[in-house]
Amino acid sequence: MFRTAILRSAVGATRTAMRPIPSAAARRLAIAPAPRAASFVPKTVSWQAVRCYASGGSLERQEVYERIKQLLSGFDKVNDPANITENAHFANDLGLDSLDTVEVVMAIEEEFSIEIPDKDADTIHSVDKAVEYILSQPDAN
Amino acid sequence: MPPAPNNPELRRQVIAIYKHLLFLGREYPLGYNYFRSRLHRAFMAKAHLTDEEEIRQGIARAEFVRKEIEAL
Repeated sequence: MFRTAILRSAVGATRTAMRPIPSAAARRLAIAPAPRAASFVPKTVSWQAVRCYASGGSLERQEVYERIKQLLSGFDKVNDPANITENAHFANDLGLDSLDTVEVVMAIEEEFSIEIPDKDADTIHSVDKAVEYILSQPDAN
Repeated sequence: MPPAPNNPELRRQVIAIYKHLLFLGREYPLGYNYFRSRLHRAFMAKAHLTDEEEIRQGIARAEFVRKEIEAL
């Protein structure tokens, strides 16, 4: 598609330039842009490959805690935002029932763009457990 | 807090259907919060069930509701 677009524009250019330039030179002009475009494409690809997947991704404990706290304070079923502390228990301290806990875990999954399997989701009952779990996941971000 | 489950498999199924329904509820016409509170109430109304047959019936009803929402 790219090539046909270039050829079409080149044809348009030769048509306007047809009268002063001999037709052989015009044909050379039309062919010339295509190889240049082809050599440009691999360059972009190699530039994107420079990004290192392994370089980033480690989260600070404090930052994880702040984000979970933010998430919980936006959750209307939490009895009092002041109760959200480093080791608050979802059911005992925040007044959430088991279904709310499921919702919190879903929200955490979304916030850190990870997927928490059911058996791990069952073990997350408190803020510090959630922080621990996120820190143990290399994919969390 | 509902009583401790004596059948982890059923508990897993209930949580799975709850998650699925929540996910579907994001596009509910009356808004996600409306849907979420209603769904929560409906599940909590059944939280006292201990008879496995009754729980299975509840799950079947949730599956029915899921199909209704998907058809919306």
